[in-house]
Amino acid sequence: MLAEEEKIKQQLAERFGLPAEKITVQRERRIWADVQAAEFGEIFDYAVDKLGFVILATITGLDEGPTLGVIYHIARESGIILNLHISVPKDKPVIKTISARFPAADAYEREMVDLLGMQVEGLPPGNRYPLPDGWPAGQYPLRKDWKSDTIGKTEVTENA
Amino acid sequence: MPEREVKLTIGPQHPMLKEPESFLLTLRGEKITDMTVRLGYNHRGIEKACEQRTYIQDMYLVERVCGICSHSHSTCFIQAVEEIAGLQVPKRGLYIRTLISELERIHSHLLWLGVAGHEIGFGTLLMYTWRDRELVMDILALISGNRVNYGMNTIGGVRRDITAEQIPQILSAIDTLEERTKYYIQVGTQEITLRERLSGVGKLSREDATHLGAVGPTARASGVNRDVRRDDPYAVYGELSFNVITDEHSDVYGRTLVRVGELMESYKLVRQILKQMPDGPVVVKAPRKIPAGQAVSRYEAPRGEDVHYVKANGSDKPERVKVRAPTLANVQVVAHMLKDGYLADTPIVIAAIDPCFSCTDRAIATTNIDNGRTDRMDWPTLRKYGIDWYSKQGIDFAELNRKLRTMRESN
Amino acid sequence: MSLIKKIVTWARIKSPWIIHFNTGACNACDIEIIAALTPVYDVERFGVILRGTPRHADVLVCSGPVTRQIKDRLIRIYEQMPEPKFVVAVGTCACSGGVFNGCYNVEGGIDQVIPVSAYIPGCPASPKAIIDGVVKLLASVDNASKPAKETVVSGT
Repeated sequence: MLAEEEKIKQQLAERFGLPAEKITVQRERRIWADVQAAEFGEIFDYAVDKLGFVILATITGLDEGPTLGVIYHIARESGIILNLHISVPKDKPVIKTISARFPAADAYEREMVDLLGMQVEGLPPGNRYPLPDGWPAGQYPLRKDWKSDTIGKTEVTENA
Repeated sequence: MPEREVKLTIGPQHPMLKEPESFLLTLRGEKITDMTVRLGYNHRGIEKACEQRTYIQDMYLVERVCGICSHSHSTCFIQAVEEIAGLQVPKRGLYIRTLISELERIHSHLLWLGVAGHEIGFGTLLMYTWRDRELVMDILALISGNRVNYGMNTIGGVRRDITAEQIPQILSAIDTLEERTKYYIQVGTQEITLRERLSGVGKLSREDATHLGAVGPTARASGVNRDVRRDDPYAVYGELSFNVITDEHSDVYGRTLVRVGELMESYKLVRQILKQMPDGPVVVKAPRKIPAGQAVSRYEAPRGEDVHYVKANGSDKPERVKVRAPTLANVQVVAHMLKDGYLADTPIVIAAIDPCFSCTDRAIATTNIDNGRTDRMDWPTLRKYGIDWYSKQGIDFAELNRKLRTMRESN
Repeated sequence: MSLIKKIVTWARIKSPWIIHFNTGACNACDIEIIAALTPVYDVERFGVILRGTPRHADVLVCSGPVTRQIKDRLIRIYEQMPEPKFVVAVGTCACSGGVFNGCYNVEGGIDQVIPVSAYIPGCPASPKAIIDGVVKLLASVDNASKPAKETVVSGT
């Protein structure tokens, strides 16, 4: 019943030498893979171009303590979702944009820039999202150590 | 005389529905050459708030991400939590959840039909569809106790059951709505003025729809055959039979046809659900603390694919909740659709993606780049501009209304 | 009251023109406001009409907890309305921030930014409650000579 999912797991493991415990088939149509940030580009391109994961569902950014995590949720037309997770150090959180391949990704990447302080290389020029223009630099709401009442109510106002 | 470039801001204030957002259009004469979108006016910090509240509190919070598709967000979130906790929701509970999902789709598409009608100057359609929508609101209030933000879900199932007395009322409302929808289909497909107004507008080819990541009816109207209910079944959609409606027109007319087609499918689904619903409990007890784990849940909301990611850490509060609403995927498509379009089409094109913030009814400031003069144009003026522009092309809505009245009187 | 004043007050009460503004709400209250204007509830038969610009409006019908981005726009819109003007806060979020109270991007209720004349609670406020609230507000205009500061609470 999970034949297709197991096949994908095997293809990824063989092609990139990923250890078996880093790829999990959680249930039907859900695969989770934990990969190194350095290998991510190649694995991502392989999954999208060769394995048919042509739909980008979303990109989730997480605060994992010493690192910032990024999960790319990509899906096949048939419904299978491959969740690729990478971690980057919090003091140097740099990732490359995937918006050349998926133009829709720039909204999700900007979200991580604004809310987590991620640095995304190669983002095309555009408005920030979702925080207002006057938001003080260095304040990242989604980080675990950030308190909701850090910024006073009257300090920040409108967009351009 | 050379055409001048004018920058038009359709900024965040507006009287007709939806959330605020800002579109900056660059115009050359009548044609739009460029468009940028500015969002974030509605950013309330829900994802952060979710981490600081318990799962039960988050259920009510996530429901209020959007009032029109509140059940969509609530179900999508709950499904992820139930998956992490390994809960098996009883069949009857899942059936009731699916019933509310389809009723929500019906109310949302009728809402959209009315709004689209209003945007092209067809006010009668707004009044008709919203009057019919009240039938669905009554049914939802009957089942759940509230017209909007139903609060039917709980972790492990639903909070209320359906009684035998409610079923004939639901079926009778569906019968009436089906008749009415057939009438709208008849008017929409046969009336030349409506077709002219909606056809060729907001064009989005299939390649662009897939490349830019469009979802929902916006994508299906360009021939992209994707629907989460069929591709990644959740709740009881695996046991129900329904068609995924696609269309090849790739324009606003196509999007209208897709939504109306989905209405007809939803009526069929509601009848199937009520017929097939088994007896039994509607909820299973859920633990307060959800064990560590993560899950991705997808849901076909009326506007398209809704994605939720939840990470649990063993406590009674989630570690991370990520919400990707369908409109975020479609907003980037609007810029593309408006390019090389006409200013008069802006209202309907923006409304056609059925944004959870659509019509832009605000004070619009136009700045003439050459001489720096600023004019103010409000939404009714812009709408009137669209209606007048089209009547110069020979499309007259007063004529249509007259014809409709005659049709009704002769029936 | 002089004759002119009587006529003006009568016109104001019998036919209030409203402008609707969403300050970052989830849309539920907004669709209930529109539902109040469409058949079944239909406030247009009472002379209420929805306008596109604040300069033509008597009553600002506002929903949503005020987000930071929208705050200045809200103030600007309020200032563009001619006197006397009334503000109706529709929904629990507009009254006090609702479920979003404490969120980092939210001011917490319309009265944090502009003075409110009537509060209509509910999540969302049903069309009946909205009509009830507007009627109570107009009745207070009729009775009192200083309408702008009166606080009226409506039920379902």
